[in-house]
Amino acid sequence: MAIWLHELKLFLRQRMALPLLLLTLAVASSAVVAGVAEVSRQHDVIERIQPQQAEDEAAVAAFVTVSGDPGSAAYYTFHATWDEPSPLAFAALGQRDVAPYVLRVRALSLESQIHEGENYNAETALPGRFDWAFVLIYLAPLFLIALLHDLRSGEREAGRMAMIQSMVRSERSLWLRRVAWRVGLTYLALSTPFAIGAAIMAAPASEVLAMLGLAALYVLFWAVLALLVARLKFGSVTNAASLAATWLVLTLVLPGLALLAINAAIPVRQGVELTLAQRELVHAGWDRPKEETMQDFFQVHPEWRDTPPVGLGFHYKWYYAFQHMGDVGVAEQTTAYRAGLEARDGWTRRIGYLLPAVGVQVGLHRLAETDLAAQMAYQDRIRAFHDRLRTFYYPYVFNDVTFTMDDFARAPRWGQTTTGDPS
Amino acid sequence: MSIVRRIAANDIVQMRRSRVALVSLLILLALSIVAALTSIAHRDASDELRARFQAQADVEFEGQPARHPHRMVHYGHFVFRPLPPLAAFDPGVDSFTGNTIFLEGHRQNSANFGDVRQSSLLARFGQLTPAFVLQVLAPLVLVFIGFGAIAREREQGTLRVLAAHGVSARAMLGGKAAALGVVAAIMLAPAALAMAWLVAAGGAPILPALALLAAYAAYLALWVLAVVTVSSLFSNARSSLVALLGLWTLTTILLPRIAPDIALAANPLPTRLETDIAIQRDVRATGDSHNPDDPYYADFRAGVLEQYGVDDVADLPVNYSGLQAMVSEELTSSMFDRYAERQFAQQRQQGNTALAFGLLSPAIAMRDLSMAAAGTDLEGHRRFLTQAEAYRFGIVQQLNQLQAEALTYADDRSRNTDPEAAQRVRIDPSHWHDVPEFSYRSATTAEKLTAAAPGLLLVLAWLLAMVAAFRIAARRLGRAL
Repeated sequence: MAIWLHELKLFLRQRMALPLLLLTLAVASSAVVAGVAEVSRQHDVIERIQPQQAEDEAAVAAFVTVSGDPGSAAYYTFHATWDEPSPLAFAALGQRDVAPYVLRVRALSLESQIHEGENYNAETALPGRFDWAFVLIYLAPLFLIALLHDLRSGEREAGRMAMIQSMVRSERSLWLRRVAWRVGLTYLALSTPFAIGAAIMAAPASEVLAMLGLAALYVLFWAVLALLVARLKFGSVTNAASLAATWLVLTLVLPGLALLAINAAIPVRQGVELTLAQRELVHAGWDRPKEETMQDFFQVHPEWRDTPPVGLGFHYKWYYAFQHMGDVGVAEQTTAYRAGLEARDGWTRRIGYLLPAVGVQVGLHRLAETDLAAQMAYQDRIRAFHDRLRTFYYPYVFNDVTFTMDDFARAPRWGQTTTGDPS
Repeated sequence: MSIVRRIAANDIVQMRRSRVALVSLLILLALSIVAALTSIAHRDASDELRARFQAQADVEFEGQPARHPHRMVHYGHFVFRPLPPLAAFDPGVDSFTGNTIFLEGHRQNSANFGDVRQSSLLARFGQLTPAFVLQVLAPLVLVFIGFGAIAREREQGTLRVLAAHGVSARAMLGGKAAALGVVAAIMLAPAALAMAWLVAAGGAPILPALALLAAYAAYLALWVLAVVTVSSLFSNARSSLVALLGLWTLTTILLPRIAPDIALAANPLPTRLETDIAIQRDVRATGDSHNPDDPYYADFRAGVLEQYGVDDVADLPVNYSGLQAMVSEELTSSMFDRYAERQFAQQRQQGNTALAFGLLSPAIAMRDLSMAAAGTDLEGHRRFLTQAEAYRFGIVQQLNQLQAEALTYADDRSRNTDPEAAQRVRIDPSHWHDVPEFSYRSATTAEKLTAAAPGLLLVLAWLLAMVAAFRIAARRLGRAL
């Protein structure tokens, strides 16, 4: 034990040691503070929109209930959806700044609504967020390189190597102690702020441990790499330069090349194509004989087949029928688009097995639920909610039931589950 | 001056022998070439795809059958943002901002299908473009090649030997900087070639291209001076390397991420959802089209009746429904403009806050000016949004006017009950040809250079500061010898 403490004292007495550890701690802490602040801001936004949304619904209800027309109720009422940040989102903010986490939908065709974007500042999003994941993936390796690049070569260059070798009983355990302190303290400086943040956000222990485990593996990877380079017995300078060059290639260059390759190999132009196609389908509905549209719709929703037929003029049941048929008509493209996005995500995960930085990035953001998969999961919940909305309004529209104030209160709410419904 | 040249020449010979210098320079050059080729290919493919989609949308719009004009208001139009030629050098925010908007009556939709939302998290590692290579990677390679410039000579004792031969400190530093400057010039070469190609074959404007090249040259020059200066401050090569790596990390990796976070936290934008609700609320407060007794619309009607000298809207020579659609669109559109202006102003403030950190990091200033000169900054996207909204308003009002003039009020009212009226309100599709096509007006050279000016000034200030630091370092080294 005393020998370990002795090594600690030796280590901390080095000119770079304590400043670097404190810097690691400071950077990790500020990243955690920034992340927690951003996540609570997102919670606040979700909180803040509720009264605004209620006021908007009340204003719609005020004029719709004059006529009691259910079609107008469905047309004018927007329903709010939102995607609360997960407890660990603070550590890896991911794509939540470029994709909406609050979105309103109505019972019209969904494909023209679900791809809507958020009003974010693209210039500030461009460099990426300053969060704990960034500190771990980009900065931690550099801190480790600074601490480990001269571990042996430094002693050699100072002419102490022969003395050390003659004095210690086991050279191996000496280096082990030295490496353990350096890596251990760096890991501690990184993970303590994270653990405190996770405790504040009341994150589930298993996921916190998983993130800490990933971080430990990543730190170990860089430590081992530094030791392997040290075995080549270069000087400290060459060690530092080759480690920094490796860092550059592994965290900046190869991920950039991988992105180029993936995006070139898997184009996802179906998104634009399906919105163009969907608009044609929906608007062609105005020119087709109403009976044709209704027959198509009854194939999908036979339960409304026996309701009173659509007359000569405009009727909302026909309107909602062709709105929905617009979505049904592009279902194949929607699936293809989605498959393209999943393929891009899948290849990124595969690249993560090769590139530690990418692997940790993927793992942390999966645990934090801030990745592309989380974005798609939110869209799935919106789709399910939209189905509930449509089927809520259909009985009123198809049976010509007057829509009252009470019915507004009965409308499906986001987050409120009914049996068998995932939202 | 020949002594400076001799030192530089000698240094370059040494660099050619040094494996680290050679390998890192070759890797950088290879990356530059890969980045330039893929960037040019990507820009051309994206631009062509967008042009094709735009042509498809135009054909589809004009090919619509006879319809009630209000149907066309809701059929709407798609517009696509073309990519400027210099996007092949610096795509800027292009992949973050959506590149297509669906335009329709009464609503303002967002620009959708930006590449970042369609990509995995890899996109957040930064995209490998010529701009990224020069802004981020090139300074690091200069560090790798130049950290030992003076420090190693000092460590090996050769510095004193040189001094003993009467070489002044200034000549020594000058020679080292000149040698590293040659390396920087080699790094810049692929970018310069790409730029020349873009101007010659890609239709890129020449002045912004030259400004970009000059700015990148200044940026690399300031790094050359910084590397040699820092190298002269340390007694050994290792400390010099660690200090330079720290400096690079701070200015090029850390600050560019911290600055926007501070800008965002200081001035958070409202979400689109809140803006939508606020616009609806303001529209209702001014004139509620759902309220038959609304004073705003009652006044409008009274005004129209008085203008034509009739007592009832049915007696007007024009279709009142069309007129009402126009006034209502005018109201909502004015709200869209007001909220867009507010949002743009806030974004500009955020941008300015982030750019202020350019005082601490030349990389921030360089990125800002690079996007601005390339025409791929957020201002370019705002220009697209503004033009798209103006176009939306224009075509909606053109269609509303058709409703007012080509349809009778009686037909319009009875179109749901009278099949003949329903036929008559479907006006001839030749009218859709009269709707102009969207043509995006990109930033002029003057606008681009104005937008790039603040960043350019910051980079020049950095260059001057580095020249000053370099001279101080030379004097200091002179005294120490």
